[in-house]
Amino acid sequence: MIQLLRIELYKIFKRPRTYISFGIVTAITTVIQVAMLSDGKSFLGFALQGINEQFDIHGNILNGYLVAYIILQSLLIHIPLLVALVAGDMLAGEANLGTLRLLLTRPVSRSQLVLVKFFASFLYTVLLIIWLAVVALFLSLLLFGKGDMINLKSDAFVMLLQGDVMWRYAAAFLFAILAMTTIAAMSLLLSAFADNSIGPIISTMGIVVVLTILSNLELPLFNLIKPYLFTTHMIGWKGFFDDPVPYAAIARSSIILVVYTVVFISATIVYFNKKDIRS
Amino acid sequence: MRRFCVFVLVIACCAVNGVRAAEASVLFESLRRKVLSVHDYTAEVKMNINVTYMRIPQLGGTLYYKAPDKMRLERHGGLSILPKKNINLTLSNLIPGGNVTVIEVGEATIGNKKVRVLKVIPEDEKSDIILTKIWVDEKDLVALRTETTTRNDGTVTMDLEYATYTAYCLPDKVTIYMDLKDYKLPKGVTMDYNDQPAPPKTTDKKNQKGTIKITYLKYNINTGISDSFFSKPEKK
Amino acid sequence: MAPILEVEHLSKSFKTFKAVDDLSFAIRRGEVYGFLGQNGAGKSTTMRMALGLIFPDSGRICINGSEFNNSRRHLLRSIGAIIERPDMYGYLSGWENLKIFAALSGSSIPAARLHEVLDIVGLKGREKDRVSAYSQGMKQRLGIAIAMAHQPDLLILDEPTNGLDPQGIAEMRALIISLSKDHGKTIMISSHLLYEIEQVATNMLIIHKGKKISEGPVQQLLNPDDTLTEVAIVPDDSITAQLTVSAWAKYVERTGPGLLVFRMNPAHTPALNKWLVDAGAQVQSISSKHSFETYFLNITSDTTAAHRAI
Repeated sequence: MIQLLRIELYKIFKRPRTYISFGIVTAITTVIQVAMLSDGKSFLGFALQGINEQFDIHGNILNGYLVAYIILQSLLIHIPLLVALVAGDMLAGEANLGTLRLLLTRPVSRSQLVLVKFFASFLYTVLLIIWLAVVALFLSLLLFGKGDMINLKSDAFVMLLQGDVMWRYAAAFLFAILAMTTIAAMSLLLSAFADNSIGPIISTMGIVVVLTILSNLELPLFNLIKPYLFTTHMIGWKGFFDDPVPYAAIARSSIILVVYTVVFISATIVYFNKKDIRS
Repeated sequence: MRRFCVFVLVIACCAVNGVRAAEASVLFESLRRKVLSVHDYTAEVKMNINVTYMRIPQLGGTLYYKAPDKMRLERHGGLSILPKKNINLTLSNLIPGGNVTVIEVGEATIGNKKVRVLKVIPEDEKSDIILTKIWVDEKDLVALRTETTTRNDGTVTMDLEYATYTAYCLPDKVTIYMDLKDYKLPKGVTMDYNDQPAPPKTTDKKNQKGTIKITYLKYNINTGISDSFFSKPEKK
Repeated sequence: MAPILEVEHLSKSFKTFKAVDDLSFAIRRGEVYGFLGQNGAGKSTTMRMALGLIFPDSGRICINGSEFNNSRRHLLRSIGAIIERPDMYGYLSGWENLKIFAALSGSSIPAARLHEVLDIVGLKGREKDRVSAYSQGMKQRLGIAIAMAHQPDLLILDEPTNGLDPQGIAEMRALIISLSKDHGKTIMISSHLLYEIEQVATNMLIIHKGKKISEGPVQQLLNPDDTLTEVAIVPDDSITAQLTVSAWAKYVERTGPGLLVFRMNPAHTPALNKWLVDAGAQVQSISSKHSFETYFLNITSDTTAAHRAI
């Protein structure tokens, strides 16, 4: 199993496609940072309108912590695509390439193969999020400096002291890893169904987009199903930037994401063990 | 109309209790003199902003004040948040200046102190202050509470507690109650994580009260802060 | 000794399409077993079932006497295979591909052995190149190197000459013969071309629409005495009459206007020609074709002929 995992990781990191994601994360982050450097003040003025009417806020508002949050806010919705780029390709890509049949004529257990593919996707996800942390948080801190962090919610203005922020980012990135692992698991399941990797990648994105819309629509019908959609819980990382941190809600979200992940992986194993390899 | 009412009130008060009115005026004037004797100060403060829609931790910093209307909070690299009319945080600004009419409305007890309650009405029509009600501790000559109705910012109520700086009428603890407007950002913009407890809703949306508590740890009084200090940009 | 691969009453359908229909056969150690059938006849499906890639609807597969389903992973250690195209990781080098699949073979294979198989398949010196830069023939050879690196008893090669140029086909053929003769491998090889099977196989099975049509040693199925010789002459009834009473009568398969068909060893053709000329026939052409080839061509072009006797 370790051998199998080593081989999977070797394949992932030998492939140019893998690094596209890291490039995209870097590019988008840099674009937002440049935009914030040039136009950040007016952007803030707009966002803080409601508060500025009644309060004077002075100091380095547009600091690295806030910029990192803005980056995560706009980027984390797209990270599933990058995760799907690798996880969705795991089985379908090998089917498409024709290597899956060669792989399965080896004395390899299919269940183990699925688990290893999942674990490899997970490690890739972890690296991607770590990279995101480096460019979104640490680079922003370098560019914009430190400071107390403000967080604008629809119904509240939250301010966090600068010494109180770093652990929240650590927790938020851990949560993001969990959320993206759920995406990886779903991608892997879709990947087992398909014989080319475009299908699972697009389906993953499609599902994430549709469910995210459902999660955000304020309609009574959707309110019923919202608590059961994993997309509702994927933004749980934001909870760490609230005061007080809604630990109970975050714990519930984490459990739901874990349950989804386990269900996706089990379904993949069951299906893949019965699948005729005809590619 | 307002002037007429005030006039009637003043006449009535004078007629009933002319002596008391004169005493009240003297009391107010000596209080005002004491308050205005502080031209500027620097103070280490701890500030708690308590507004329903704001979740702000206790902010520590240095508060700079210069009479009549300059105030600045330095947070040593952190963000400073003060109410827009931050000058309302000081007693000197909640007490009307210029010629005023003072009416004594009675006595009350704050904590275990007996206080005299004065109503102060500025005679200057352009003054932002319409009416100030002051609870004065006659013995220490300090204001323990003020309730100021302003033209633009609703009513600001202030509770003051004194210890070390009673001589300057500078409080150790101040609690300011102010009227606030509602705040709401569109949900789509913020993409909130929904699973958090909703903040306690006030029943009266239009008249949300916010409180600001300031604890003054140490004053440096009348050190002569220059005006330019208040306009220079914040240190990062 | 149990057959190295034994298949009994194997059936597999994909939705309504019956890919393999009650197929039984056995491959013994040392054989080169030709699996002949047109495209879509069920060759690949059968081979995939023998490798556990596809699950049969019914029937039994045994390898070295053990039921395949019960110990798939164990039994796969003794098999090496190429199924259809030899697809590898194009972004990796030949050597990296070889190493990856060798590592998954269930036994540890020393680097020396990997160099040895590269030498056997003639890829020595090109192993550091990316597979995406390989020709089809090189990929096939790398596929065989991967299939045989772990010293399997049985090699399953599905259309190994597909997509190769004539020289590549010749080289592949030589390699397969060498694998059998010099390395003692048992080989199951499929093709849709009779002459390819004919040149390498010791035994052969014809499959059509998932069913076994015939099976046997190549020598027996391709007996030269079963060669059909067609003689085209200017129509002449006297020749036909003379023929029926001559010594050649026993070889006559059928006659028609201007056409005489004989089933005989092609060695007799010059003598037949001489006899015809002596009998006064005006011979226009003589052509020989093995009856099996005719038969195979018939079933691949005309399915109704499938059950006509050989």
